[in-house]
Amino acid sequence: MDHTSKHSLNTTPVPVRRRVWPVGQILLLLPALLLLLLFFVLPNLDVVRVGLFDPDFTLEHVAKITSTRTYLSVFGNTIQISLVVAVLGALIGYPVAYFINSRPRAIQMKLLLLILVPLWMSVLIRSYSWMVLLGRDGVLNAALMWLSVTEAPVRLLYTSGAVYLAMLQILLPVQIIASYSAMTEIDMTLVRAAQTCGASAVQAMRRVFIPLSMEGTVTGVALVFMLSMGFFITPALVGSRKDLMLGNLVMQHVQQLNWGLAAAIALLMLLATLVVVVLIKAAGRYLTRWMV
Amino acid sequence: MTVQLNKIVCGALAACTLAAVGATYAADKTLTVAWSGGSVAQAERQTFIAAFEKANHARVDLKASELAVLAQLESMVKIGDTSWDVVELSGGKLPVAADKGLLEPLDYSVIDPQNKLPAIAREKYGVVWGTYSTVLVQNTSKNPKGKKMRSWKDFWDVKTFPGPRSLRAWPKENLEYALLADGVDKNDIYKVLGTEQGLDRAFRKLDQIKPYVPVWWENGAQSVQLLADQEVYYSTTFNGRVEKLVKDKVPVEIVWNGGALMRGFMGIPKGSKNIDLAQQYIKLRVLDADLDRQYIQQIPYPGFAPGLMDGLKPEFIRTLPASPENLEMQFVSDDQFWKDNIAHIQERWNEWMLK
Repeated sequence: MDHTSKHSLNTTPVPVRRRVWPVGQILLLLPALLLLLLFFVLPNLDVVRVGLFDPDFTLEHVAKITSTRTYLSVFGNTIQISLVVAVLGALIGYPVAYFINSRPRAIQMKLLLLILVPLWMSVLIRSYSWMVLLGRDGVLNAALMWLSVTEAPVRLLYTSGAVYLAMLQILLPVQIIASYSAMTEIDMTLVRAAQTCGASAVQAMRRVFIPLSMEGTVTGVALVFMLSMGFFITPALVGSRKDLMLGNLVMQHVQQLNWGLAAAIALLMLLATLVVVVLIKAAGRYLTRWMV
Repeated sequence: MTVQLNKIVCGALAACTLAAVGATYAADKTLTVAWSGGSVAQAERQTFIAAFEKANHARVDLKASELAVLAQLESMVKIGDTSWDVVELSGGKLPVAADKGLLEPLDYSVIDPQNKLPAIAREKYGVVWGTYSTVLVQNTSKNPKGKKMRSWKDFWDVKTFPGPRSLRAWPKENLEYALLADGVDKNDIYKVLGTEQGLDRAFRKLDQIKPYVPVWWENGAQSVQLLADQEVYYSTTFNGRVEKLVKDKVPVEIVWNGGALMRGFMGIPKGSKNIDLAQQYIKLRVLDADLDRQYIQQIPYPGFAPGLMDGLKPEFIRTLPASPENLEMQFVSDDQFWKDNIAHIQERWNEWMLK
C-alpha cells in the first residue's frame, strides 16, 4: 500500500516498458521445476493412472469405495478427525504464536527452538511417547492417582481422545510456525496508529492485527488438515478400534499389492482434501472480512 | 575451491578403487540377501552367512528390507533390474509375490536333493527357513487360584477368567481362534472358514469376546508392552517375544494349544543374477542343522533341518514353535487361503471393527 501511494505522488513520467519474458529467471527456476516434475507431478499422475486404468479406463475401484459403507464411514471419520485437529490447532497455536511474537527478538529464537525440536522428532517416537504418558501405568495416571483425583487408573490410551491429543501435539508446531511467520510480517505501527486514532486495545487487535495475520494462520490450518488426512501410524498406535483412517486402508491394500484400490483411495483423498482446503481458505476470507 | 574439490574427488575415487580391489581379493562374488534387520540380521550373519562366506569364497550383502519388501520386489522385477538374489518373505507375502510372478521357481534337486524337508516346508516358489507362532499368553498372577487357560475356549470364558484381553487388529488367526473356541477341529478350520456360514460363525463368536478386548494390538512390541503394563491379562503375541517378558519378571505362560504356526519363507527374486549361488545359500540355510541350532539359541525361529532337535535340552525344545510336541497342538496358518480370501474378509473385518 505504501508503494502505490508513493508512486502516485511521483510526477515524472514513467517510461513505457515492453513486457519482456524474464528468460534468465525462468532458466534459474528450471532445476526446481524439473525436480517437481520428476518427483511430484509424474508420480502423482501415475497414481491417477493406477487408480483409473486397469489397464483400460475403469471406474471400478472408485465405484467400489463410493458404494461401500465401511469406506464411506472411514472417509467421513478421517475428514472429521483432520478438521477437528486443524481447528483446535489454530485455537491453541495462534495465542502461542502471538506470545512468541511479542517477546524480544533474542527470546523469540529460543522459544521457536522449543517448537522446532519436537517437529524434528519422528512421528513414531512421539506416538510411542504418548503411549508412555497415557498408559495405565503411565505418567498421567500416576499423577491423577497421587492427587487422589481417581482411585484406579483411568482409560486414557486407546481412545479417540488420545488420537486427537497425539495428532494435535504432533502437528501443532506447523500451525504455530505458520501463524508466527504471518505475525512477523505485520507492521506494528499500524496497530499503534489504530490506537492513536481512538481504537481500544481489543478493537485494534480485532480489526487490525488479527485480520493481517489471518492469511498465514489459515494457511496453517490448511496445512495441518492436509497432513492429518494422511495419518495412519498414530491412530493405529494410540486409538481405539474405531479410529480407522484412510491411510490405514491404503496400507492394507498396498501390503497385498492391490495398487488399483489403494490408488483410488488416494485419489479420492486428494480430491476431498482439495475441496476442504478451498473451503477452509474461503472461511478464512469470510472471517477476515467480517472482522474488518 | 576447485582445487579442493578436485582433491576430494580424487580421494573419493582412490578410496572407491581401493575398496573395489579389496572386495575382489576378499571374495569372487557377492550374494545380496534381503532380510529382516536388527537382531535377526545379526544372528543370521554370525551363523549362516559366516559359514557360507567361508565355504563359497563369496561375500553376502544383507539388506534390511522387511517393511515394504513386496513393493520393492515388484518395482525391481518390473524395471528388469533385480539387485537381490535371495529374499525373505513372510507366509502372507509369499503367495502374493508368487502369483504376481516376482519369484523364480526353486530347484529342489539342488536345495533338498534327498527330500528331507517335510511337505509344509516346501512350496514351489519358497522354502521355509524358520517358524514362529502367534500364541495365547496368560499372566498367571491374574488367573483365579489353581486355574490356568488351556485353550481358546478358556480365552472366551470371561466368567472363569475375568479381565481385559487383547488380540491383533487384523482378521488373520483371530477367525481361526474363534472357530477353535467354537468347537471346530483344527484340521477343519479352513474348510469351515471357506464357506459364508463358517465366516458368519467365526464373526458371531468374535462378537462374544469383543466387549472384553479394550485394545487391539498393531505390532509385536505393542502386544508385549500391553502384557508387561498389565493393560491386559491375556493376549496373543509372537512366541519369540515372550522371553522378554520372562526376563522382566512378568509371570507369563504360553498356551501352545491352538496356536497358529506361521512359516517364514525364502525365495529367489525373478531375474536374480546369481541363481546358482542363491540356491546354494538357501540349501545351507534350510538343511544345516548345526548352524540352525546355533541360530535358534539366539532367535527362537526354528526351521525344519533334519536332526535340528538332536542334542537340545528338553526344556529348550518345549519353547520352540516347531518342536514335535508343539507342532502337534497347533494349526498351520494357511497362507494360500488368506491370499485368496483376504480382500473380502478384510473388508468385513473393518466393518466389524467399526461397529
